Amino acid sequence: MSIEACVTDDVLGTVSELLAPLVGDLDVLDIQITRDTAFHEDLGLESIDLVTFAGILAEHYGPDVDLAEFLSQKDLDEVIELRIGDITDFVAKRLAERG
Amino acid sequence: MPTMTVNGLRTNVQLASAGSGVRTGETAVFLHGMGTDSLASFYLTLAPPVAAAGIDVISYDLRGHGKTERPHSGYTIADFLADLDDLLNQLQVAQPVHLIGNSFGGTLAFSYAATNPDRVRSIVCIESEPATEIWAGKMTQILDHTVNFLAQEESFDWIEANFSAHHRRLARMAADRILNTSMVRDVPLGPLLTWEDVERIRCPVLSVLGRYGYQSEDLEALTSLLPRGELHVFDGQGHSVLVERHREVRELVLSWIARQAP
Repeated sequence: MSIEACVTDDVLGTVSELLAPLVGDLDVLDIQITRDTAFHEDLGLESIDLVTFAGILAEHYGPDVDLAEFLSQKDLDEVIELRIGDITDFVAKRLAERG
Repeated sequence: MPTMTVNGLRTNVQLASAGSGVRTGETAVFLHGMGTDSLASFYLTLAPPVAAAGIDVISYDLRGHGKTERPHSGYTIADFLADLDDLLNQLQVAQPVHLIGNSFGGTLAFSYAATNPDRVRSIVCIESEPATEIWAGKMTQILDHTVNFLAQEESFDWIEANFSAHHRRLARMAADRILNTSMVRDVPLGPLLTWEDVERIRCPVLSVLGRYGYQSEDLEALTSLLPRGELHVFDGQGHSVLVERHREVRELVLSWIARQAP
């Protein structure tokens, strides 16, 4: 596995853990979060939860990991269909840009 | 981000600024619409670019919406305005602000400017009109229709079949708010503005609307009443201007605020 793939996997694990306050205990709920998990459809979350999650990400990773800014470049249907893999890739890209 | 107690209610507030970038000293306050709306529709569209342009941004969930507390009653326009006033006081915003309102949020912006002219630098209203008697009649009609629609279980099946499961959930949320609070009864009560009140709003107003939106019949006439009004109409567009045309709205808003420098 490449270093890049390891970093992305690591980010996916962290993103999944950070989602717990919004979704609930993932083990108890028996939810397996993958790159294909849809934020709205699969997790039953709403746009306002994305705002909360943007705050959680910025608090964990730093203010340059600005999910709201990332989403403001997207169309409505892209936001509705947002998948955890999209968020993971965005975070990994920001982290890589730090060098 | 902060949960503040605003006018006695736990209120979800999101602030954004240019951070280490250059700040203009201007402040924009985003006021979202009623029902399914929340601060997300601004926070995920306009807030980042407006903040990046050096404008301090205040977004919050209106009472009964998003992650703000939902009292059973207390949804007159006066209640919403008291919230805004208390929020600006607590955040110690001394300079007049740009009020940017979507749908019902724009209606609140007009009422706030009418009663607090010294606190408002300009208004950007997206698919909105002031709370006149005409507005109250229209709102009553829309809300009555909405109540009847949401009271029928099969309506949610229809929404999912014609839109998506996501829209079904949004409709459920709206139903919960609309059917289990006094919102529908309270909102049209105002207090309403007379045409003289509207004419006395002296701050610049940018009205943004869809050709087929809720204001398509009377906003041009209304805009002519406002002394410093501008109108931008999106052809082929319905009520959801903010989320469906957010890139164009962003350019309009940034250009508008830049032109309002004192």
